[in-house]
Amino acid sequence: MLASNPEKEASSTPPFLAVRGIRKSYGGAQALKGVSLTLEAGTVHGLVGANGAGKSTLIRILAGLAHADDGGIAVDGKPALIASPAQAADLGMSFIHQELAFVPRMTVIENIMLGLPKKTRFGLVDWPAIAREVEPVARRVGITAPLSAEVDGLSTAENWLINICRALVRRARLIVMDEPTASLSAAESEKLFAIIEDLRRSGVAILYVSHRLDEILRLCDRVTVFRDGNAVSVMERHALSRPRLVEAIVGGAVEALAPHRDVVNKPIVLSARGLTRLPKVDDVSFDLHEGEVLGIGGLVGAGRSELMRLIYGADRPDGGTMTLDGKPFSPKTPAQAVKAGLGLVPEERRAEGLLLTKSVAFNLQLANLSGIVRSPALPLIDYGRRKTLSEGIVRDLAVKTPSIEAAVGLLSGGNQQKVLIGRWLLGAPKILILDEPTRGVDIGARGDIHRLIRSLAARGMAVIVVSSEPDELPDLCDRVLVMAEGHIVRELTGPGITRNAVVEASYAFDGQGKEQT
Amino acid sequence: MSEVVFVRRLSPGTKSVLAVFARYGTIIGLLAMIAAFSLLSPRAFPTVYNFTNVLNQASLAMIIAGGLTLAVIVGELDLSIGFAASMHGVLVTGLIVSSGLPIPVAILLVIALGGLIGLINGVIVTKIKVNSVIGTLGVGTILTGLSFAYSAGVPITAGVPEAFLQVSLGRWLFGIPNNIVIMAAVLGGLWVLVERTPLGQEIQAVGGNHAAARLAGIDVDRIKILGFVGSGMCAALTGILLASRLGSGTTSAADPYLLTAFAAVFLGSATLRDGEFHVFGTFIGALIIAFGFNGLSIFGAPTYSQYIFQGAILIIAVGLSSLGRILSQR
Repeated sequence: MLASNPEKEASSTPPFLAVRGIRKSYGGAQALKGVSLTLEAGTVHGLVGANGAGKSTLIRILAGLAHADDGGIAVDGKPALIASPAQAADLGMSFIHQELAFVPRMTVIENIMLGLPKKTRFGLVDWPAIAREVEPVARRVGITAPLSAEVDGLSTAENWLINICRALVRRARLIVMDEPTASLSAAESEKLFAIIEDLRRSGVAILYVSHRLDEILRLCDRVTVFRDGNAVSVMERHALSRPRLVEAIVGGAVEALAPHRDVVNKPIVLSARGLTRLPKVDDVSFDLHEGEVLGIGGLVGAGRSELMRLIYGADRPDGGTMTLDGKPFSPKTPAQAVKAGLGLVPEERRAEGLLLTKSVAFNLQLANLSGIVRSPALPLIDYGRRKTLSEGIVRDLAVKTPSIEAAVGLLSGGNQQKVLIGRWLLGAPKILILDEPTRGVDIGARGDIHRLIRSLAARGMAVIVVSSEPDELPDLCDRVLVMAEGHIVRELTGPGITRNAVVEASYAFDGQGKEQT
Repeated sequence: MSEVVFVRRLSPGTKSVLAVFARYGTIIGLLAMIAAFSLLSPRAFPTVYNFTNVLNQASLAMIIAGGLTLAVIVGELDLSIGFAASMHGVLVTGLIVSSGLPIPVAILLVIALGGLIGLINGVIVTKIKVNSVIGTLGVGTILTGLSFAYSAGVPITAGVPEAFLQVSLGRWLFGIPNNIVIMAAVLGGLWVLVERTPLGQEIQAVGGNHAAARLAGIDVDRIKILGFVGSGMCAALTGILLASRLGSGTTSAADPYLLTAFAAVFLGSATLRDGEFHVFGTFIGALIIAFGFNGLSIFGAPTYSQYIFQGAILIIAVGLSSLGRILSQR
């Protein structure tokens, strides 16, 4: 690589972006605990870390979508206040996310110019002037589609190029790329890398966020590793290596072995064969046993939540079969899955789990309404019974709430999660699926929730836990299946369930191919 | 490097004053209006006769608005109700006068038809996934066309039996006007349904957060369809009572109830609860509109002022409702 040494330049001119001591917490959970990061013009800076390490939070703060509790940001050595996305753009920062934001029915050039007024003296849009400006940039980044095509029909790769073009037309000096190759083919990725190289030479700074370590090793001049809301390591290009990165991502912590029980001899409750819903779930087969805590590990986007949605009837599979207690099971709606004895605690607990303005009792009883009627003939709610049952759950799960009639949105994240889990305890399902059960939950509630999950399994309930936190699955599970790119790439059992094994298998698709063991 | 601190907070004082206004504003407004009219017109306004009259007049709007409340609680809009009520009025009169059906049979048949139209609305919205504004507007327009086809646009007045007029005009229970009795039964029933039954909890959950309701195992489509069915049946009842009160089945007679119902429902959502639709709120909302109209007519305001009042109150109602919602989410 021909990149000049950023350290030498830094002595004469201030870095493009300096982030110092940024803190940010959501509810009780600290997402960023005082991170710093220095980004020089004309360099590619890698940002890596496990899910939940704080990468996205930092990006949201840089983009003006979230506001730091403490800390400072300087652009070109001058303090910068980023209160809104518009201000981030004014500072020359451009963000390209995994979910690309476009107006689908508008053309390529219209999307590129969106929000950038260029008018003739009659106040009309000056299309010839715009075309003169955009066309060379579009050629430079290699957009092959005509600028007058609607973006609706274009490929993801083309959308990336349009986004880069949009950033360059805006004279962006920093482009933040979040998992840019997640949905690109190998050839498309190569093209992107060439453009990144070109951008670097022209003096643009790039913050490159990715789980794919081979890309990080190949592209980056410097890498910052986040772990648990801290920037734990900064590595220069010459010091980069795959083992060093993995070690920094995982952390050198001592493995704590939880007692894993051998449950494979217990009866099988749920069995999936060849379950497929492309592109996220591809030919997945597994068994779930009575009384088992089965962990599903892997990176965000590996297809874990999508697999759970198939089991729960929230999506329909393209192919594959399931059996429940030996009988064919193909739920068409969550309502059918619930009737068959399943329960789900979704990942997005505020968006998909709770009715925030409704009371704790309302949220607890939502899946158990038939259990609180006076009689089948008179379907009125028995408020005494509702109160007894709700208060029982609140007491058993140690939910901290002023009363069962308090709005659930006012509780802390951990207590909201307890309410969601509590909802299913009233109906006693055979299978309980928990997607990221302790995300954004403080450490005390996390322990409570883990103990609760173990005790449910001890009573014979089959539990599936999806988690992106490397520590969570070893603490909790009897068996772990690791997913990558829609496949189950590894099964871990007993003492084989370690945080390193989970992390390593999560990256199994990266470089070496997916079927290795 | 100088540290940059990010602090942006709202003044809690301003917020709580606004919150009280958003919650109790409608009730304070209603009481203030009654007090003001009583002072300005102490002999004509604050009388049992006038209040009974206002409630009697308002009952039809309250019934149709009560039905609409179900539809909006499940998170949809039903714009067909006014047109449907007009058509039902024409139809029930025609069934009695032209087809010679017994009055109770004709009424029950038309209410069932109202439920069927609600079912059609619900299926169009949930299964064919047509936006409810468009879907119900389309159905309502079709119903207007059908009612013209049925009556050739001529009001059915000749031969309407006195017994049918008595359905609305009679005072069969302790001398209380039938309209008020029917309205109380309908709103009372709806209140019990929404607030006191498991089905009502599901109805509230679907409107509150349909993704969460679905994942909790609730059949969201079924609940939404039920909301439309309730709305359609109430619209039919209002259409029947209007035809009985007017003594005729007239096309487009009940169309204005659409706006009144929406104003009542949105005023209601700004009452006591932060932007949530509920049956009691709708009742209060309809009362505000009724007393407003009554006051305007007592003071001899011209007819056109009623339209201005109704349009303004609709905007104020929706404004209050979203203010409440915004404050509750802060």
